[in-house]
Amino acid sequence: MIQLIHVSKSYDRRVALSDLTLEIGKGEFVLLMGPSGAGKSTLLRMLIGEERPDQGQIFVQGKNVGQLRQSEVPYLRRKIGTVFQDFRLLPKKSVFENVALPLIVQRSSTADIRRKVTEALRAVGVEHKKDQSPASLSTGEQQRACIARAIVNGPVVLLADEPTGNLDPERTAEIIELFKLINARGTTVVVATHDPHVMSLVNRRVITLMQGVLMPERQGGDSVGV
Amino acid sequence: MRWLVYLFREAWANLRTNRTTTVVAIVTTAFTLACVGIFLLSYVNLRHAADWLQEDIKVIVYLDDRLSQDVFQDLEGTLKADRMVGGLLYISKEQALGEFRAQFPSDSHLLEGLGENPLPASFVVTPAPNYRSLDAVNRWAERVKTMAGVAKVDYNQEWIDALAGLIRYIELAAISVGVILSMAAVTIIGNTIRLALFARREEIEILRLIGATRAFIRIPYFIEGAVLGVCGSALSLGILKLGFELFRQQIGSVGRFRGIETLVSFLPLSICVAFVAVGMVLGVAGSMVSLRRFGEGRG
Repeated sequence: MIQLIHVSKSYDRRVALSDLTLEIGKGEFVLLMGPSGAGKSTLLRMLIGEERPDQGQIFVQGKNVGQLRQSEVPYLRRKIGTVFQDFRLLPKKSVFENVALPLIVQRSSTADIRRKVTEALRAVGVEHKKDQSPASLSTGEQQRACIARAIVNGPVVLLADEPTGNLDPERTAEIIELFKLINARGTTVVVATHDPHVMSLVNRRVITLMQGVLMPERQGGDSVGV
Repeated sequence: MRWLVYLFREAWANLRTNRTTTVVAIVTTAFTLACVGIFLLSYVNLRHAADWLQEDIKVIVYLDDRLSQDVFQDLEGTLKADRMVGGLLYISKEQALGEFRAQFPSDSHLLEGLGENPLPASFVVTPAPNYRSLDAVNRWAERVKTMAGVAKVDYNQEWIDALAGLIRYIELAAISVGVILSMAAVTIIGNTIRLALFARREEIEILRLIGATRAFIRIPYFIEGAVLGVCGSALSLGILKLGFELFRQQIGSVGRFRGIETLVSFLPLSICVAFVAVGMVLGVAGSMVSLRRFGEGRG
């Protein structure tokens, strides 16, 4: 599903990723761990074509992301759902309208939008808040709405960048459970976090980055922090 | 269809969110384009005047007093056969004197002392409809001048030349002012769009990340620019029409210009439509400039 081959990236001589080679299979749930500045966000940005590697190749569903034309990038992003730490919901639109955005940009029919948005909101448990503005939701609910937006068009990969960074431990556990459910339906999930608590909640593959370098892989669910 | 509704709703939201800026942009654009419109209006009316003068053009072929009957008949025959001649009227020396006396009764005594009638006979030639352009009349007059029995060829050339020169100047001024003020309109609309882009930068970023194409992100801003351009140019036409009617009223009340008000006319509908269309194009151009400067549409 995702393949990185000797990928390197630097910003003004500061190394963000160094000779990274890894593979994430279809339907996997992977935690991408590491402290701030370790290169997690750079890696996620590269997977959605927001950044290009200085060296190496990145494949997502067989497509060489680094060689995509700018006009092809939006079509790659439609296959990838993205969840942000700060939710990035549009304050002037209702929860329904926010979640509908990925379908609108794909020119889905009105009936399709209504059906898929309702399903996504139900899946994350905020269907009853669909007509409210994001500001009236709790932080946990806002993150759920953000996840609904990420999964509404049935992406093959879900990328989450510090999705629990603004949540308390209880909400964090709920959100991680939600990711597990989404993963159980066949979506590849990659969660980038620096929070050791998240690792203890997920008994899955853990990829660790330190200053852009890949560390030996571990298994989540144990108590090892980063 | 929801995406189409979305695009128009976003454009409308942009216009409504920055209401004051929108109104200022429309009014400023309107006054800017009204300046271009003044030149356009002058140009259109002067062209009308030139066309009207050309329609009415008469060439007077004065005949040599010592002209023999044979040469006169030859000349008359030649002129009648000429395809450039639409109408031919002979004015004898006596008729010319009679017309002079009729037109200038108080000056007719000036000719009394001369004994002999000094006014020449002439042919008054109306050019055929297809040969009424200034160039055609000029060429024809030069040719006729060399014919036997012709003393002089005269027509209201000075007037037409002066008017043609004025039209050229107005045309040049209209193009120069039009280009400069159009750029100003593009800048005004562009700045308004830039404010909208700045206000919605987060939304643009989200749209990009969820897979919106460059065109999808840009279209609401193009619509916004087009609406600003159309409203600005339509308002400028309103301002022009108001100014034009006031001018016509004023000029009609001034004794020496009385009658001119019936000769001047407002821009024809086709030009008004084209003017609004140009406004729309300028608006879209403003959006394009801003989107480019804002760096929107990348990936």
